[in-house]
Parts: sequence; structure tokens; C-alpha cells
Amino acid sequence: MAGSFLSRESTIAPLDYPRILVPPAALAVHLAIGQAYAFSVFNLPLTKLIGIDHSAPGDWNIKEVVWTFSIAIAILGLSAALFGRWVERVGPRKSMFVAALCFGGGFIVAALGVHYHALLLVYFGYGVIGGCGLGIGYISPVSTLIKWFPDRPGLATGLAIMGFGGGALIASPLSVMLMEHFKTAASNGVLETFVTLGVIYFMFMMIGVYNVRVPAPGWKPAGWTPPAASPKLVTRAQVAVDQAWRTPQFWLLWVILCMNVTAGIGVIGQASPMIQEIFAGRVSATTAAAFVGLLSLFNMIGRFAWASTSDYIGRRNTYMIFFALGILLYFSVPSLGRAGSLPLFVAAFVIILSMYGGGFATIPAYLRDMFGTLHVGAIHGRLLTAWSVAGVLGPTLITYIRDYQLKNGVPKAQVYSLTMYIMCAFLLIGLICNICMRPVNPRYHHTGTESAS
Amino acid sequence: MKLKAVLLWLAVGLPLLWGVYKTLQNAMALF
Repeated sequence: MAGSFLSRESTIAPLDYPRILVPPAALAVHLAIGQAYAFSVFNLPLTKLIGIDHSAPGDWNIKEVVWTFSIAIAILGLSAALFGRWVERVGPRKSMFVAALCFGGGFIVAALGVHYHALLLVYFGYGVIGGCGLGIGYISPVSTLIKWFPDRPGLATGLAIMGFGGGALIASPLSVMLMEHFKTAASNGVLETFVTLGVIYFMFMMIGVYNVRVPAPGWKPAGWTPPAASPKLVTRAQVAVDQAWRTPQFWLLWVILCMNVTAGIGVIGQASPMIQEIFAGRVSATTAAAFVGLLSLFNMIGRFAWASTSDYIGRRNTYMIFFALGILLYFSVPSLGRAGSLPLFVAAFVIILSMYGGGFATIPAYLRDMFGTLHVGAIHGRLLTAWSVAGVLGPTLITYIRDYQLKNGVPKAQVYSLTMYIMCAFLLIGLICNICMRPVNPRYHHTGTESAS
Repeated sequence: MKLKAVLLWLAVGLPLLWGVYKTLQNAMALF
């Protein structure tokens, strides 16, 4: 019974089904898994499980705890790549259900790890099981949305992936509130918060499971006819996932995503100390936290705004803006810091973070333009390995360069200048790859009978 | 169907609006 409810066949919508019902289903999943970006609120409390208000002997240290998030992001990329084909085969409902089980269950297993004070169990629960929920949940609704919105694929995927950015805005204050609520003399509330979040997120993701639908074969939006002539970089052909990753276009897009994410993710991780050190004496820890919150907000807004814009100006032009404007802004940041212009400094970074989010949200539509809709979810899954690599590369590089310069006597306020110029170089690589993008060679086109719906 | 659409959008929109509100509330510290 449950098997049939979860099957792809039972999710096929009638021809008159209003497509406006589908984006909230996708948002329910992405808003939940977007919690990952707010996991850092647990870092300090996880180092005080024994001491409650302070780190006691036997408590975990911060360097051990932060691995939980890194493992989750690495597993996100790997599971998206590994399970992409499975997600395409079984459809969005079953894959969203598995994602909900993994993500909610991951919290419960991590709570057991907190209870038994076993860090490996926390890594396994949130990092591995939860990470699988992140990866499967991230790609589950993407190809479905692209098929429902052939006229506005950027808007559709931007809306869903905006949820991943928005999830942190909800999870951060919610987690803090829950930890305060559950805090007692014997517990700092992390265990109870993990259990509560596991249940809440499972139920929230079930909204998506119940309401997601795939369009019937041959369905198209009322009054919409595919344009007679497609732009040069929008294909009408289909490319299967096993062929797609053999094309140069896949690897160009892989580098494009990797460079865009590396440039943004390095800043996200260091935003708080960076603004405090560049504007020493003017920016407190509280103000720096506000800056980080603002970056998260624009990360979310950028996902929707840039992906929607890409429907009008084209995917390649959108990435041209990301890279060209990104280089300009990163290049100007050291000067803005030296000039002491806090508002302009903040403005530069919120635009940079909007383009970081926009890069994530526009890539599924770029893939659809290059490879068609047949296996776009699975191809997207494989492309997300670029995120895993960038997730390690960006923060490691920024931290390494910062430490190296500090050791060589560079003043704290200036240690980020070199980093910004290196980010410019990354964006330049992305820009060149984007310029090199050409339509896929027809020899890779799919000629089989597999349905694209 | 319209009621379902409204309820669904509210279910996902209200938590998101709350998150945005809390973020903006904190961001006021910057200005």
C-alpha cells in the first residue's frame, strides 16, 4: 500500500492539475534540509555537553565538532551523485520520503550520540545519514519542477533552491530557542533539540511527500507552445546521464559551479572574524553576527532573483555577470576595507553572496538547457560533487592563507587582501569556462525510447 | 484546489517569513 503511494505512477497528475501546487512541495523539502547551513549554532553547545555552561574535561573540542558539518556536506555531494539515477527512476515522492527518513533519522541518531557522548555516532547520524537526506532531498524535486515549468525553468528551480538558503534563516533562531527551552541544570538542551528537530523536519518534509506530483506525459502549460527556434545554447535534444558526464560541457559546468562556490563558501566561513578584523574597533561580535545573518538573507534572495532573471537573459549571460561582477567586487574589497567604508563593504559582500546563491539555483536550468530534461536530476546530482570539492577547497584555502600571512607578520586588517585576489583568479577560471560553453555534440544525444516525463 | 494552494503556500511561507523577520531584526545591529 505504502509502496504504491510512493511509486512514480501514483504521483502522475491529471492534465488539469494546477502546477502552482508543486513548488510548495519542493520548498517544504528544501526549507528543511537548508537547516544544514545553520548547524554551526550547535558547535559551541556540543563542546559543553558535560560542563553544561563551560567546556569540562572530557568534553569534545571545537575542531572535532566542526567535522560534523563538513562530513554532511561531503556526503551531500556524494549521495546526490550516487543516487541521482535512482531518484530519476523512482520519482520525487519516494525519494523525498527517503530523504525525510534520512534527515529526520539522522538527527535522532545524532541525539543518541549526544546521549552516549559518542562523537562518532554524531558524525554517523547527522553527517552520514543526515548527509544522505541532504543529497537525495536536494535533487529530488529539481527535475520535477523543470518539467512542470518548461516556460520558466529558472524561476521554478530558483524557488526550490531558495528554500535551501532560507532553511538556515529558520533553523538558526529555532535551534537557539529550543536549546534555551530545554536547558536544565543537567543538560544544555542539545539532545532534546536534536530529537525535536528530527521530528519537526520529518513532518515538514512529509508535506512535500504528500503533495508532489509529476506532470502527465505530453502535458504542457495552458497556452504555451515551445518556441519554434531555440536559442543557440538551449537544446531540444536529450542527453542521458551516462553520456552527459563524458561531454566537455559537463566538466565546464562542473568547474563553473566549483569556482563560484569556492569563492562564496570561503567568505561565508570567515565572514564574522573577517569583518571584525578589517574594521577593528568598529564592529563587535554581535554586529558581525548580524553581518553573517545578512549574508544568509542575500544568499537566499539571490537564489530566486538570479535564477528567475536567467529565464530572460539566458544562463550563460547570468554566469557572465556572476564572474565579471564578482571579480570587480572581490578586487574592490581590500580598497573598501582600507578606506574604512563599512556600508560599501557590506554592500559588496551581500551582492557577492547573492551571486553565490544564484550560482546554485541557476545551474539546474543551465543543465536542462545543455542536456534536456531526460536525466537532468541525475546529471545535477553528479554535478554537485563540485560542491563537495568547493566545500573543502574554499574554507581550507582562506584559513591557510590567513594563518600563513599572520605568521609572516602581516597586520590582521590586511590578511584578507591576498585571499580576495585569489578569489578573483578562481572567478576568472569560471569566466573562461563559461565563455568556452558550446552546444553538446549531437553524437551524445539520446536516441532511445525512454520517456522524458 | 484554491484553498489547498493557499494552505500549502502558507505552510511553507510563514516559517520562511518568520526566519527573514528574525534575521532582519538581528541585522539592525549593523546600522
